[in-house]
Amino acid sequence: MSKRFMFELLKWLALFVVLVIFLFPLFWIIASSLKTRGEFFTRPPIWIPSHAEWSNYPDSLGRGALKGLVDSFTIAFSSMLVSLLLGSPAAYAIARFQVGKRNLAFWILSIRMFPPIATILPLFVIFRFVGLVDSYFGLILSYTVFNLPFAIWILKGFIEDLPREIEEAAKVDGASRFQIFRNIVIPLIAPGLVVVALFTFIFAWNDFAYAVIFSGSKVTPLPVVIAQFAGGHEILWGQISAAAIIAIVPALVLATFLQKYLTRGLTMGAIK
Amino acid sequence: MMVGPAVAVLFLVTIAPLLFSLGVSFTNLQFSSPQPMRWVGIDNYVTLVMHDVRFQTALVRTLLLVAAGVLAQTVIGYIIASLLSRVRRNRALLLSPILIPAVISPVVAGWQGRMIFNASYGPLNDLLARFGIQGPAWLASPQTSLLSVFLTDTWQWTPFLALVILAAIESQPQELIEAARLDGAHGWSMFRRITLPLILPVTSIGILLRGVDLFKTFDLVYILTQGGPGNSSETLTFLTYLEGFKFFNPSYASAMSFIQLVVVTIAAKGFLGFMQRQESV
Repeated sequence: MSKRFMFELLKWLALFVVLVIFLFPLFWIIASSLKTRGEFFTRPPIWIPSHAEWSNYPDSLGRGALKGLVDSFTIAFSSMLVSLLLGSPAAYAIARFQVGKRNLAFWILSIRMFPPIATILPLFVIFRFVGLVDSYFGLILSYTVFNLPFAIWILKGFIEDLPREIEEAAKVDGASRFQIFRNIVIPLIAPGLVVVALFTFIFAWNDFAYAVIFSGSKVTPLPVVIAQFAGGHEILWGQISAAAIIAIVPALVLATFLQKYLTRGLTMGAIK
Repeated sequence: MMVGPAVAVLFLVTIAPLLFSLGVSFTNLQFSSPQPMRWVGIDNYVTLVMHDVRFQTALVRTLLLVAAGVLAQTVIGYIIASLLSRVRRNRALLLSPILIPAVISPVVAGWQGRMIFNASYGPLNDLLARFGIQGPAWLASPQTSLLSVFLTDTWQWTPFLALVILAAIESQPQELIEAARLDGAHGWSMFRRITLPLILPVTSIGILLRGVDLFKTFDLVYILTQGGPGNSSETLTFLTYLEGFKFFNPSYASAMSFIQLVVVTIAAKGFLGFMQRQESV
């Protein structure tokens, strides 16, 4: 056997191990979501259930996961819309007219570094005072803390990549600043809007810190439902696993279809 | 005019609450206490820094988690990235499944951890037993609870760093690599003198994002261990959460969160400065 062949073999073996390690936990929840209650308490554990117990899915939906799904979707979608609507004009102004110069941009980036608990605490006191705890609006507003700076930062990068000449030509043709923004810039930064839509949605969808504190009996996002299941007296292993799979699917579908936008969003636009 | 609405909203949800919180941190405000709110100056800060052992331990523990997490995820991420960079065709078929952990909710990752680290019925100890190793109690033991949080976070976020480092590797100018190879660079000297300086700028952004997020670790601790057993896996943000929302002591918790803000800002600035010096060498 040549050295080169050995090297190739080792490479693929190592990649296989990597794949197994990163996919195994997902396999384990899928398998768990199809187990009957008794199958969780055997030693050694059952790796593959003998038959698929689908009832965990309707059962977990009935116990609050359905409401969680609807609430999570409402909140994540609204927060995405708010970030796009407020973020794109702000990004345009910062990129093109140097509004706020570098300070504003740096401030926006530094919000990314805040421990959420630092803003959650005072927001909670304020929200309690104005009655926004346990409301959709309160949660949508809190996700803006994270999503809006992200949207501005990413879109600013996309707008700076556009050649100025197109906008200048439109200006010569008599287009107003708003027309230029609406009819020229927005269509050209469509990929940027996709990155922002994808990540603002996923962030709000996946978040737990804000959700657990600002939710209550009226508003229960899916991660909070899962945490409540998991913290109860009787732990419903199968149902929680089913709810976890339900929570993964939307983010996974979005990320798969929009894979080429993933890198730019995950790295805050640092890698194009 | 165009930035107006965005800045107004950001002011409303970040600056205003932070100022409010800063004010509260100088008082003795408590939700449950009947005594009236009083200005106490820097008392809360003095207590935290000088006397509060639980806080100090949580700070050290969090910094340990940040250091271990960043180190492990960067090293493993680099290994995965260099393996992937040697795959030419159909790389996406490998990359997309590996990236799944980066888009799932930490709550789900935590739930996986709860099942996998389960000492009696979990697959990890079952696997170890097949090799004749008696696995620890993981989440239920003070010696391994923080390790379990670290392992779960590393599982979830190593692919992210692999993606970042892969992009960095791909953007190296090939002529430079070839020239160095002709000059006799290989193995460690190649990595230390050529590859590392070339991938450092992009990699350091990934490390910074990861470090900041590890410092904020909350969800995983909440689901996996609730900070226990004892306080053995209590991170700073989790302790702040307990102080503010379980012990109803918002003034003390505000002071805690401000110390965190200062620590994370100084650390991030220091790290960026250090990286810039490295790049210019």
